Amino acid sequence: MADRVMLTVGTRKGVFVADAAKSRSSFKLRGPFGLGVPVYTTLIDTRGTPRLYASSCNPFFGMKVLVSTDLGKSFKETKSAPAFSKADGRTLANIWSLEAGGGKRELWCGVEPAALFRSHDGGDSWEMVPGISNHEHSRKWQPGAGGLCMHTIIRDGNRIHLGISTGGHYLSEDGGDTFRASNSGVGAGFNPDPYPEFGQCVHKIVRHDAAPGRLYMQNHGGWAEWTGPGGPRPDIGVLRSDDYGRSWRSIAKGLPSDFGFPILVHPRDPDTVYVMPLEGQTRTCPGGAPAVWRSENGGNSWSRLARGLPKKETYFTVQRDAMDIDHFKSPALYFGTTTGQLWIGREGGEKWECLFDSLPPIHNVKVAVV
Amino acid sequence: MAPAPTVTFHVMGSLRTYCAGAAQLSISGRTVRAALEDLERSQVALYRNVCDETGAVRRHLNVFVNADNVRDLNGVDTALTSGDVITILPAVSGG
Repeated sequence: MADRVMLTVGTRKGVFVADAAKSRSSFKLRGPFGLGVPVYTTLIDTRGTPRLYASSCNPFFGMKVLVSTDLGKSFKETKSAPAFSKADGRTLANIWSLEAGGGKRELWCGVEPAALFRSHDGGDSWEMVPGISNHEHSRKWQPGAGGLCMHTIIRDGNRIHLGISTGGHYLSEDGGDTFRASNSGVGAGFNPDPYPEFGQCVHKIVRHDAAPGRLYMQNHGGWAEWTGPGGPRPDIGVLRSDDYGRSWRSIAKGLPSDFGFPILVHPRDPDTVYVMPLEGQTRTCPGGAPAVWRSENGGNSWSRLARGLPKKETYFTVQRDAMDIDHFKSPALYFGTTTGQLWIGREGGEKWECLFDSLPPIHNVKVAVV
Repeated sequence: MAPAPTVTFHVMGSLRTYCAGAAQLSISGRTVRAALEDLERSQVALYRNVCDETGAVRRHLNVFVNADNVRDLNGVDTALTSGDVITILPAVSGG
């Protein structure tokens, strides 16, 4: 019976695991695991006996995938990590996303340079998914500041949504055999043509099982003041789709900034969505006062959630995968900062509390009940 | 043609898990490149830690033949003679 709340925290110095009883009153921290190298993605795989996965970006000896079969008491390497073929000519620079696939052991993995891999045996062997990895656009994608990364993989039956920075949103409707760029309405502020077919700097995409066709996207905003070719492009940063990602529209009105990285949807209410606005230039919270912003009507209006968070002089960044939400009736949000704090927002983000305040810079936070 | 020289590949501690704990391996090759190709054939898991998918030595590793960094010799085309010792070490880093 599931009875523990488990957090995986990927940091610049390895992966940590924290767990708590369902009350979430006190979390116990373990780690770091790995060799003290950056961990950009983790996965709490609750299919069957729970497994924890973590990528390990070893700058010396290459990329690894770590797995724990004892709820985060220990980790070991899987038998192999995703790798390009010698003939391909690309070399793996990072692992940005790990997601559960079909059955009990299928995994999907998004990497840098942007490509997709699939494992049928829990990460011991990997095959490249050519429909997107060798897409005709793939050699034209460009790296953003974080690298050319495939950071989002959303499976919805035969539909697969991918987020690539900078490549945009790609959609498969045949289980991953073929993909097409699907960026109608997704702006690219850094491009003279603000609405190209592809090449957008998508930051994160989420969906909800209870709202078929609905998707939310945090895109690369912060271009309202642009006066160059193509003209201003306000509010391109936070978007919504109601047609399975074929088209997108802005829902950024009312936010203090349309720039940000993570985006979440409430586990029981597809109309409730959360973002963490950041200033476009500094990528820190507006005014040095961090806040999560919540919409309870699908993005029509927004409210600020900051009770318990610092009110001033706070300049961290929350990265694209560093915020998550648990699935309780009254869910808690969790976010990790580039300054090493891990925060919990109880009652759906109404009350914030710092769980751990001196971790290494945090890249990734995931939560599940196991 | 004479057989390729046999050299010693010194395995640093953290990599020994990829070669059943061996601290040293005997490999053959007329050059460092050929020796690494021999390593790929005989110890593929260890090799993957040393070279990337294209066969290039990973960027933050230094390859020494005896006491000399191959960067100061002829790179991976540095010639080997019997009894040479190849050592691979991570570059100095911090932060």
